Amino acid sequence: MIREFGTGDVVYLVFAARWTLALTALAFTGGACVGLLLAVMRISSFTAMRLLASCYIQIVQGTPLLVWLFLFYFGLSIAGLPVNAWTAAALAYSIYGGAFLGEIWRGALIAVAPTQWEAGASLGLTYLQQMRYIIMPQAVRIAIPPTIGFLVQLIKNTSLAATIGFVELTREGQLTSASTYKPFAVYITVAIIYFLICFPLTQWSRKLEERFNVTR
Amino acid sequence: MSRVELINVSKHYGHLQVLDNVSMTVEAGEVIAIIGRSGSGKSTLLRCLNGLEPIQAGEILIDGVKVNDPDTDLRSLRQNVGIVFQSFNLFPHLSVSDNITLAPRLVLKQSPDQARRLAADVLARVGLADKIDSMPSQLSGGQQQRVAIARSLAMNPQLMLFDEVTSALDPELTGEVLRVLEGVAREGMTMILVTHEMGFARHFATRIVFMHEGKVWEQGPVAKVLSHPQTAELKSFLDAVLN
Amino acid sequence: MKYGLQFRDVFAAWEFLLDGLALTLLLSVATMILGFFLGLACACAKTYGGTRFKQGVTVYVEAIRNTPLLVQIFLLYFGLPSLGLRLEGFDAALIALVINLGAYSTEIIRAGLESIPKSQIEAGQSLGLTPWQIFRYIIVFPALKAMYPALSSQFILLMLATSVVSQISVQDLFHVGSIIQSRTFRDFEVYTVIGGVYLAIAFMMRGVFTLIYRQVFAR
Repeated sequence: MIREFGTGDVVYLVFAARWTLALTALAFTGGACVGLLLAVMRISSFTAMRLLASCYIQIVQGTPLLVWLFLFYFGLSIAGLPVNAWTAAALAYSIYGGAFLGEIWRGALIAVAPTQWEAGASLGLTYLQQMRYIIMPQAVRIAIPPTIGFLVQLIKNTSLAATIGFVELTREGQLTSASTYKPFAVYITVAIIYFLICFPLTQWSRKLEERFNVTR
Repeated sequence: MSRVELINVSKHYGHLQVLDNVSMTVEAGEVIAIIGRSGSGKSTLLRCLNGLEPIQAGEILIDGVKVNDPDTDLRSLRQNVGIVFQSFNLFPHLSVSDNITLAPRLVLKQSPDQARRLAADVLARVGLADKIDSMPSQLSGGQQQRVAIARSLAMNPQLMLFDEVTSALDPELTGEVLRVLEGVAREGMTMILVTHEMGFARHFATRIVFMHEGKVWEQGPVAKVLSHPQTAELKSFLDAVLN
Repeated sequence: MKYGLQFRDVFAAWEFLLDGLALTLLLSVATMILGFFLGLACACAKTYGGTRFKQGVTVYVEAIRNTPLLVQIFLLYFGLPSLGLRLEGFDAALIALVINLGAYSTEIIRAGLESIPKSQIEAGQSLGLTPWQIFRYIIVFPALKAMYPALSSQFILLMLATSVVSQISVQDLFHVGSIIQSRTFRDFEVYTVIGGVYLAIAFMMRGVFTLIYRQVFAR
């Protein structure tokens, strides 16, 4: 049964975007935890830590996101572990996002001048205290614009979850396209919805970057 | 016909009046030293002379050619006007030889051999013949500036402009550059230099021009102006600079 | 439940994997070349062109960078036929990838072009060079050097992103993986191997790019 592509579908698609945002939030949370750990490991004075983190990042950044999605969804299923689309996606995006956020945050940490560490140490603060009161606050400011930039990447990347049947905006687009036979209109609508979500974030990231460079 | 004529030249950036009704003439063979505080308009004046900056009123003529006329072919004008900048502006990815031969080959249409002989020649004049194949990054500041001068000389200009060419150099390197400038002056080149180097001005300039607030405040033969400043502004400037 | 890892079935299909790899590489290289020139044209338009060009390029770049590649491919492959233009899988993939890479390259190339200090251009002008001569002899080489790291990273990202074309049935490395999986049911092994191949390619690309940099730019 073919139905017309009307405003009802458009509204339906817009609401499908909430799954995109939900997945993004989940992915970002997971990725943030992994990323933070990696960033700290990368600047550690223990070579083993640095190497481990470095290897992880090299491997994840050298493989396509689709591989991780399929590995966790199909690979784990066949191995007998109960995995649904949500779990697989959450795992895959956390692993993937963690690597990139780790790099961004490491960059932010080392952008804080070494003299700041020295000043903290000279005042008798422990490593954790230096991190918490002196380094982190400054690093966070530096990290915000690229992190928002990465958030935009993440939102776009959630479209790949459609390939493992996860119902978010793109998958909803595929389903709508199949039942209305109007793929062009459907996908243009989908693209516009993504644009309306991503563009403001991109602009915000740019504005913050400018403001940050001015005050620096 | 004078080499350079400025007639009632004015220029402003927004509300800031940078050049205020400046008139001046420079004859062939003269060496003019322009002095003044930062912001007095001296560098801007120089940059207007070869068309790097536009003017809003007045006329600038170089050998009778109007610089500020939209119909003027600035490129052919610039073949006759050499300029050396404070920060040398050598092309970092080209060797000394390539830096110098670039314009002769592309603009004067010289053959590579011709151009290279020319490069060797001008480099000898600035005392750097052995550096012909070095890269700019391998040279000291003074050497880079001398190459920049050679690069301008290679185009055989009728007029050369120097914008504080020793200001960015360590003190011990200014001497070698000043010696090259002396040589160029002795060859009869018409030169206009924006400079702080009073010693050079005293010995080699034919005329000194003191600029203040975008105007030509005082000018005249070097010895007279430096020993008998007429205006309070020049007096206080010289006091500050010569002490 | 015990699951025995068994890579034999996967490796048995090595010729098939090679075919997929060849297509991935072909697609990647073709996209890099075409995408670079598209990016160069747009970057020049944005840096040196008039307002209309600037706005046009901005619209293009922002539209592409704020929408997913998968949707862009679907638009070209599934969307265009309903407007009368039917494209082959490979063609749609290539066009979508080039348009995508072009947008990202534009920004990188533009940053490289704008990193040349104005004083360099003034020096060229003062020597009497034409705008084209200034671009060719003074701007191009230093700009390429400046944009090289970001551009080579983007190229590697692109190679990995080509895996997306598997979703419109183009027989790239990833799609081959899916087919092998459907025959052998060795999902875990298949995708691990596929991942490993992509990783190897990414490493090799990085190595090649570093080599090229040393040869051309570090003198």
